[in-house]
Amino acid sequence: MKPLDPRLVRRSRAARGFLVAGGALAVVQAAATIAIAWAIAGLVSGLIDGMPIDEVRLLLALLVCGATVRALGAWGWEVVGSSGAMRVKGELRSDLLAALERRPAGIAGFPTARIATLLGPGVDALDDYFGRYLPQLVLTVVATPACIAAAWIADPLSGLVLVIVLPLTPVFMALIGMATERVQRRQWDSLSTLSRGFLEVVGGLSTLLLYGRAQRQVGRIRAVTDDYRKHTMKVLRVTFLSGFTLELAASLSVALVAVSIGLRLVSGDMALAAGIFVLVLAPEVFLPLRNVGAAFHASAAGVTAAADAFELLEAAEGAGDEASPIQHAPGSGARGRSTAGEGLALAGVTVRRDERVVIDGRSFAVPTGRLAAVVGESGSGKSTLFAALLGFVPHEGVIELEGRELDGHGFDRIAWAGQTPTLVAGTVEMNVRLGDESADPAFLDTALRVAGVDVPADRRLGPGGSGLSGGQAQRVAIARAVHRLLARDLPLLLLDEPTSAQDASREAELAAELRGLAATGRIVLVATHRPELMAVADVVVSTEAAHV
Amino acid sequence: MSDRTRSVLRTSIPPLRRLLPSVLFGAASGGSVVALIACSAWLIARAAEQPPVLYLSLAIVGVRAFALGRAVFRYLERLTGHDAAFRQLAEIRTGVFERMLPVAPDGIADLRRGELLARFTGDVDELQNVPLRAVQPVASASVVLVAAVVGVSSVSPGSALAIAGCLVAGLGATVLVQRAVAARAERRLAPLRGELQAAVVEHVQSLDMLVAFDAAAASRRRIERLGERLAQHTRANASAAGAAAALMAAIGGFAVAASLTAGQSLLAEGRIDGPTFAVLCLVPLAIAEIAAALPPAVTAWRLARVSAERVASAVPDEVPAELPAAPLEPDVVPATDGPPRLTLRAVGAAWPGSRGAALSGIDLELAPGERVLVRGPSGSGKTTLAHVLVRFLDVADGSYLIDGVDTARLDPSEVRRLVGLVEQSPWLFDEDVRQNLLFARDTASDDELVDVLARVGLGDWLAERGGLGAKVGERGALVSGGQAQRHALARAMLAGFPVLVLDEPTANVDRERADSLLRELLGAAGADRTVVLISHTPVDPSLVDRIVTIDGGRLVGEAGREPATRVAP
Repeated sequence: MKPLDPRLVRRSRAARGFLVAGGALAVVQAAATIAIAWAIAGLVSGLIDGMPIDEVRLLLALLVCGATVRALGAWGWEVVGSSGAMRVKGELRSDLLAALERRPAGIAGFPTARIATLLGPGVDALDDYFGRYLPQLVLTVVATPACIAAAWIADPLSGLVLVIVLPLTPVFMALIGMATERVQRRQWDSLSTLSRGFLEVVGGLSTLLLYGRAQRQVGRIRAVTDDYRKHTMKVLRVTFLSGFTLELAASLSVALVAVSIGLRLVSGDMALAAGIFVLVLAPEVFLPLRNVGAAFHASAAGVTAAADAFELLEAAEGAGDEASPIQHAPGSGARGRSTAGEGLALAGVTVRRDERVVIDGRSFAVPTGRLAAVVGESGSGKSTLFAALLGFVPHEGVIELEGRELDGHGFDRIAWAGQTPTLVAGTVEMNVRLGDESADPAFLDTALRVAGVDVPADRRLGPGGSGLSGGQAQRVAIARAVHRLLARDLPLLLLDEPTSAQDASREAELAAELRGLAATGRIVLVATHRPELMAVADVVVSTEAAHV
Repeated sequence: MSDRTRSVLRTSIPPLRRLLPSVLFGAASGGSVVALIACSAWLIARAAEQPPVLYLSLAIVGVRAFALGRAVFRYLERLTGHDAAFRQLAEIRTGVFERMLPVAPDGIADLRRGELLARFTGDVDELQNVPLRAVQPVASASVVLVAAVVGVSSVSPGSALAIAGCLVAGLGATVLVQRAVAARAERRLAPLRGELQAAVVEHVQSLDMLVAFDAAAASRRRIERLGERLAQHTRANASAAGAAAALMAAIGGFAVAASLTAGQSLLAEGRIDGPTFAVLCLVPLAIAEIAAALPPAVTAWRLARVSAERVASAVPDEVPAELPAAPLEPDVVPATDGPPRLTLRAVGAAWPGSRGAALSGIDLELAPGERVLVRGPSGSGKTTLAHVLVRFLDVADGSYLIDGVDTARLDPSEVRRLVGLVEQSPWLFDEDVRQNLLFARDTASDDELVDVLARVGLGDWLAERGGLGAKVGERGALVSGGQAQRHALARAMLAGFPVLVLDEPTANVDRERADSLLRELLGAAGADRTVVLISHTPVDPSLVDRIVTIDGGRLVGEAGREPATRVAP
């Protein structure tokens, strides 16, 4: 495992700022530490030898000052570390969210629960990474050499012992780190599984209750948690081993230094003051390194989370290229056939999802001013066709709207209501005016009327639009699409199964309204399997190849 | 702190036999730290007096032994401590889930899933810190500190007093600073984190809609603003924690100065020798190192307490009046061959947290084997009726009898064994097709599964997807709405409920197929199963025995087709 992910430093300005400020703090702390050791050594040896009181006072003052400066340094670290973590997390979160928006249909291999975990508890692992691990890493790089140099000057032999023992520990750390990375990865996966598993259990709780399986989930949660414990303990046994090695090296080298100083003092080869100075300083040499070891777990979680985030960023950015504007099937020659700037025209459109061909070379045209029904068995690709029009999934062939090709941003020129209402917390009005909050309020009334919304516009909805029946939610979602159509004066309205939760009279009302809407010079495209809706449509398009 | 919070905190502490090893190893490790410094200081100062080497040998052995002990004991402390904490985690998690069971699903319908996620993984994980970062470190450090101060006092009471004074003043000030400045920020951190996570989940799950309505940027900015607010509070928190850490870092130096000043006169008067004086001067450094473990433990305790409060309040403590409670001594429905007779007498029902009843004065008799269509406009109370029939919602007025036994005296799960429901939006688990069916009847063979899928019209689909091992995707993402309904139907058929309630089973299925599907379904259900079919779309009347209409929560009409003929034995 790399102690510091170079992508983090390269990508993040906040991370670079943190490293510079930390370096300065490390120098101050090293100086204070050396001063403290020097003062203690002077005091102990001096008082045993009967030092004059003035000198004692001077050294005491130095000791207290050194301790104070060191304390201020510690405070500085907390502040710098925490704000560094916050800024880097903010940057990462913004980058990730921006990248995700370019792939609204989702990214293969990143289900929403995984993305949500990554954006929440995932990047939180960076708190400890910046708050605990990196400071100690910087101190190790800056303060440790300074302390060794001081010890060397006072007693070269002890300095030599430290120089020999110290580099051994990072070697052990690297060896153990390599072993840790694999298990760490597994542990992160099991944390994701755990949170996904719980989401599933809670989401499907009513289903589980209906089949008398809810009680059984207690055992399952226990099993998953226990599994998590076993995984984690496996990681910790190894991770703590690195801490053990460091601690052992640190305390053994203090022992080595103490014994060797003791033996040389007996033979009168060195002074007591130098001996105590080195004895006080020796643990300080290892302290940052030991703390790095203690924070190693945090670092691994942080580095893994950061790597996961970068992986998602790269996946989103990479996939974005592939999805970007239309990929023409070579020699499709469709461009020439398009009608002169009127209506919607598809020529040889093929759409794949997960490598499976869902729509195979479809061509059809809907003139402006018409209501068209897209029909086909459930699962025959009605929703996929809409996703292709909107630019959420890449397609081959040509789609033209009013003579202009629909690029990856089809949704700029299309108003759409999906198969599920997908409402957000807020009032009905906020949901309907979503994205066009500054539009003329008259559009709101029209949209509500067209969609037949019968709940007050100021009714407050809970998270996910809870508080409405399925039919009401569906009508609000339709009103939202109609509002956008009107407010932006768009040429095309797409409605995916708009009446699946409506009764016959509502369906008839909506059909009439949609015809009226189309008559104002727009195209209304409705995916449906309702005969009533098909009957009123001017054009019926089938997604099934047999009906071409 | 409420009793509920206290009991959550208590459940997070492992039993003594599991906690004790880590406390003892921790004390042994801390003791080694103090002893190593004391031994080394004595060794060096004594050596400076140039005695025969023999006099030093014991100290030399001691220095090496304590150096080794410190690392070994520390490793054991961490392993035993973590293992004990993780074992406790399973207890906490299942405890939270068991609390949810009596109020699910209609009592917690409003809980955001994202927030639940944050609560479960965040707050519950926080609780494992109670033994690990609070109880055990405090216990171990206290043992070592008391022993060390007592040890120093046997040589120089003045030094012991000075060290203890520094410790008490430093620790007290640290804890006070932490409390005063951070308590408020800490209380806000966990809720803010939950809010952020909920916003993230909502954003990620409705991303396609947000992008299509140009609202993604606004939603993203909201998340970023929440993130900034969280960052602000976290920074204030870190700054306070930093001040406390600074105080602790200063304690070592100050304690050395104090102990040295107090011991100085003893040295001058010759009551202690040089090596002992050196020990008095250096031991405070080790003591301060041990004491530094205490303030983080206090912080950890406070954070865990806030999480415990949230865990305790995550799920309503008492079952709302609108939900059924299992009776202490439930009756059982006498076993009969055919399906039971269901009787609703003047039944009224309401949803938790909503004003007004969703159903009132419903009189309905469902004879064994009868097929009844319940129709009515959306929002008229049809789904409420379905939830009453499977005892998700309680009967507020009137009574609901099964074979003459009042369901209030039955365990709700007993009712659900007899009455099954296919929900309007069925939940598919992120597993393969087989797993999604098997939990309805885990003894079913693959052939039976394939057969039932064929009966609901998914035979071709199954072949195309490559068999029972096909994944249905997260929230059924890889199947269409109509296919999800059919899966749910297949599941209900496998479970073989004597009474089956179908809530809009054909909402997402095309019309021609809807009628044939219903015919297939009712045929597959067999003549001896009671079926309640809820639909707002027209259904071929020849498929059912009776049609009842609901509007505004009341029965408004009943029409029977050949009323008497199908009333079974």
